[in-house]
Amino acid sequence: MKEIEDFLRENKPQVKEDPTFILAAQRRMDAVEGIKAEVDRQRSRGRIALVAALAAGLAIGVFATALAFLYPVDASSLHEGLWQGIRLFLDSWKSYLMIPVAILAILLGLVLSGGKSSLSRG
Amino acid sequence: MTQERFISLVRAEQEPLRRFLLALCGGDAALADDIAQDALVRAYVASGSFLGLSKFSTWLFRIAYNCYIDHCRKAKTDDVPVEEALNIPSGDAADKSFRYQQLYRALKLLPQKEKAAISLFYFEDKSIKEISAILDIPQGTVKYQLSMGRTHLKEHIQL
Repeated sequence: MKEIEDFLRENKPQVKEDPTFILAAQRRMDAVEGIKAEVDRQRSRGRIALVAALAAGLAIGVFATALAFLYPVDASSLHEGLWQGIRLFLDSWKSYLMIPVAILAILLGLVLSGGKSSLSRG
Repeated sequence: MTQERFISLVRAEQEPLRRFLLALCGGDAALADDIAQDALVRAYVASGSFLGLSKFSTWLFRIAYNCYIDHCRKAKTDDVPVEEALNIPSGDAADKSFRYQQLYRALKLLPQKEKAAISLFYFEDKSIKEISAILDIPQGTVKYQLSMGRTHLKEHIQL
């Protein structure tokens, strides 16, 4: 065993001197730094956007709550108002209501006659 | 750790590191240097986690060994042409070249752990404790790997 130990100690692998080795490593590290910086930039942008969205949501929520407390609206009156509006609309436009009804009747007639003719053609 | 500090520490370790990987790669200097470069980048990225609990060289060698293992897994084999050994610079040309060829050929036949233990102990003069930390195995196992490695090498090296 002594011989093999001596053989190993006497024949250590020799590496060629390479002055570019450290330079190449440095270039890779610079590239890593660039990637790190970009990732940090993206993260901080994401964080800013998140904080801005939270702040905007909070502000709008506070504003809406304040509005609801300061100017309360009766929901039932809102409902009545809607029906009232529909009734008024129909009342004011009743003279013109026959026009769309007539157009629809003509269109329906045309469609039905077209369907019949295509059926007769087979 | 700043890049300057890291580079200064690496500068002192680059030769032993490249030699260790050269032995693991069976004399393929280009492959050994590629793995060394990968190891340095990995070490640099992780340098923030280096707390100084072990020697810088131990930490760096451990990363390099893991890079080598990863490479072997990707390549599915650690076979490299032993003829590469002939290109190793040597003092007494032919005779020395033949011995390197013999050494690399024998090292190639060893299992990874044995090869790493032999390289660290005989080529890098690392202690059993350091080898245990680098290879992440108990000290008793390191001694066993060394013993097995020596036995296996004796079978393949003509003295």
